[in-house]
Amino acid sequence: MKLKNWALLLALGLLLTVLVACSGGDSEDTESSDTGDADTAEDTTEEVAEETEGETEGENVLNVINGDTIPSMDPSMATDEYGFQFIGATMEGLYRLDENAEPVEGIATNHEVSEDGMTWTFTLREDATWSNGDPVTAHDFVYAWQRAVSPDTGSEYGPYMMGGVIKNATEVNTGDVPVEELGVTAEDDFTLVVELANPTPYFESLTSFGTFMPLNQAFVEEQGDNFATSTDTLLFNGPFTLENWTSTASEWDLVKNESYWDAETVQVEKINHVVVKDPSTSVRLYEEGSVDRAGISSDLVDQYSTHEDYVVTPETSVFYLKINQTRNEALANANIRNAIARAFNKDDLVNEILNNGSIVANGLIPADFAPVPESGEDFRAASGDLMTYDTEAALEYWEKGLDELGVDSIDMELLGGDTETSKVMNEYLANQLSTNLPGLNVTLKSVPFEQRLDLDTSMDYDLQVAGWGPDYLDPYTFLSLWITDGGNNMMGYSNSEYDALLEEATTTLATDNVARYENFFEAEKILFEDAAIAPIYQSAMAQLVSPKIEGVFVNPFGATYEYKWASVNSAE
Amino acid sequence: MARYIAKRVMYMLITLFIIATLSFFLMKMLPGSPLNAEEKLTEEQQAIVLEKYGLNDPIPIQYVNYLAGLVQGDLGISFAFSNTPVTDILMDRMGPSAQLGAQALVVGTVIGVLLGLIAAISHNGFLDYTSTIIAVLGTSIPNFVFAGLLQYLFAAEWELFPVALWGSFEHSILPTIALMIFPMATAARFVRTEMVEVLGSNFITTARAKGVSEPGIVFKHGLRNAMIPLVTVIGPMAVSLMTGSMVIEQIFAIPGIGEQFVNSVMVNDYPTIMGTTLLFAALFIGIILVTDLLYGLIDPRIRISGGGK
Repeated sequence: MKLKNWALLLALGLLLTVLVACSGGDSEDTESSDTGDADTAEDTTEEVAEETEGETEGENVLNVINGDTIPSMDPSMATDEYGFQFIGATMEGLYRLDENAEPVEGIATNHEVSEDGMTWTFTLREDATWSNGDPVTAHDFVYAWQRAVSPDTGSEYGPYMMGGVIKNATEVNTGDVPVEELGVTAEDDFTLVVELANPTPYFESLTSFGTFMPLNQAFVEEQGDNFATSTDTLLFNGPFTLENWTSTASEWDLVKNESYWDAETVQVEKINHVVVKDPSTSVRLYEEGSVDRAGISSDLVDQYSTHEDYVVTPETSVFYLKINQTRNEALANANIRNAIARAFNKDDLVNEILNNGSIVANGLIPADFAPVPESGEDFRAASGDLMTYDTEAALEYWEKGLDELGVDSIDMELLGGDTETSKVMNEYLANQLSTNLPGLNVTLKSVPFEQRLDLDTSMDYDLQVAGWGPDYLDPYTFLSLWITDGGNNMMGYSNSEYDALLEEATTTLATDNVARYENFFEAEKILFEDAAIAPIYQSAMAQLVSPKIEGVFVNPFGATYEYKWASVNSAE
Repeated sequence: MARYIAKRVMYMLITLFIIATLSFFLMKMLPGSPLNAEEKLTEEQQAIVLEKYGLNDPIPIQYVNYLAGLVQGDLGISFAFSNTPVTDILMDRMGPSAQLGAQALVVGTVIGVLLGLIAAISHNGFLDYTSTIIAVLGTSIPNFVFAGLLQYLFAAEWELFPVALWGSFEHSILPTIALMIFPMATAARFVRTEMVEVLGSNFITTARAKGVSEPGIVFKHGLRNAMIPLVTVIGPMAVSLMTGSMVIEQIFAIPGIGEQFVNSVMVNDYPTIMGTTLLFAALFIGIILVTDLLYGLIDPRIRISGGGK
């Protein structure tokens, strides 16, 4: 009896919810449709416009989209584009890169390099402060760099960026040498002495990279495990501060840092960031006026390439076919490799399939990356096209190769990524190769990124679509990939001449930048005479950028965007 | 009743343990490592980093350590978000997903039940076919299609609602509508089928003969009986709605758990994957228990306390 009553009550309750929710839903509907009906669409547009204006009125405020959350703001722990982007905007190292990617003064005002290029003495400015008022001193750099390579920290980029560059960095990381032995010392509060492991001509630009930022020891230790997990547990010394941020936040702001030593140069008051991953949503937000910059995915390029705000910015990542000489004996034959590297139409690939502003790559070092010392000419332009699409030459090499091998057909596997664009690209490449090279059968294997890395490490592939982005401003970041038994070679390429040229560039020629570049030219040439890899394209990003954004520079490495010199065009 | 619940809770814990074990070992089979710069580090350097996360230990030891942490309610520190406890991530991300899911569930079910009722009452009539068509469309068209359409029409074209992002109640309207289509259609289909059957059964004829009013028949006798199958599907559906939809969250740029979960799998963020899996599993099992208890309340024939079961 009791239970029956309960059941009735429940049924009644459900019914009530039905009614209440129903009327609630109704009134909302009417409300919203009222605004829609009574006021015309025009009014709504006005409302939106007013809203955006209200936010920006009288202020230099920008609204931009970020592709994802910021996984880490800890300079020692950051490994990704977004971490380095916001570390770069909120912190300052010894130097900062300007519009032309030339290092300009940051915390350091100048430096002296010893004759042998092994000891760098930096003079620091005395007026730089942390956002808690403490001065930024040489001790902050010593602490941060030691922390980056200390095995207790477990940093990935610390040993990667500093190993082989700063004296004892690798040894400290493996625990063979105490952390105090790292080649960085504070002579006094404002003089930093760095001893290198090898002469490193690009060290100046390297110091602008996130991993090399200073850290305030007292603050970091006080925060302990909470350090860099939210705005409150961060200290800033850069042009902006990061506000309203926690590690999983999907919205945050860069706000002008009034205590930055060069605050008068910084014009933008605030840059709001929101995380949006869906490309069509990004574009709609741009059209709505909620954001001032939105990326365009390749499927949307056709629709927006005529938009007046459409901008293509080249990036410095290069993509190529890795040709594994160890698994398939046909690929150990230089003629076969030469044939493959010439047998696919790259123009059609970048224009029809990628369709996002990417450009054809005919060499390893990307365009607009490294200027040749003295002449200032771009490395790519100076080195020229080393491997182009040429079916006739390809066929010639192919037939010669088949003769040498004594076969008339070859099977091989093409390994590539499994994103939508990659799959189409892989199919296109396979089709081009088997069409242009009679007797070649290509089977496709599209796998997720992590799995591709595993297959790369175990050299379990024939051809692989792979890419590389630079970690410092020097051609060596690309050329060192193919040194015999190098950690990323993983395709069995070995040429003693190539190795010798690069070895020379890092040792005897290390202080002679002009001669180093001569070696780099020579090495790149050898690489393509051997047809070690088949260059495909250099990536670019297509975006809608509001004309009101001015002076935002895109860096070839490190923080993607440089906002220090940015301004908001008030005319817009 | 208390004994029954205690027994069920024990089963729940065992189930959770099995899920934790299975997902732990499945996760270890994912290709790759949680390192982000894997390709840039030597084996030795990788080992130093992995050491910090306890990933160099043999897998059985990792498993024991993991269970030990779990028993103490410690889900660990995320690999992807440095120094961030998994519980913080779950808390941060659960909110928007739960809100959207709850809104979609309530609105969707209510509208669905009404549609189903209307259809059943006008059995084989025009309204019946209309609501059946709505239900079929709702279950067969994926919700991201609706989401894209809604965003295009209501936000981009007519500018009635914000295109995307999270914040005010207004922001939640379009995603809620996109999400509620499925529960609505499901509820409508179930209620209609059941109601048609119930309304045709003998006891309804008896009730009519006794002179019970038509609303009385529909709501008191009909709907209550039709609720049973609905309760069965609503429970699990509630969980799947509240644990977030990756697609909807991505389209409307909502910082929810569904999207986060997929992301964690992509970057091998083991602690976050485990934490999220367990949270989802616990929610699911809990809801099933609640559903079972609800049966008894709605349908006296399935009474548990009687011990007959």
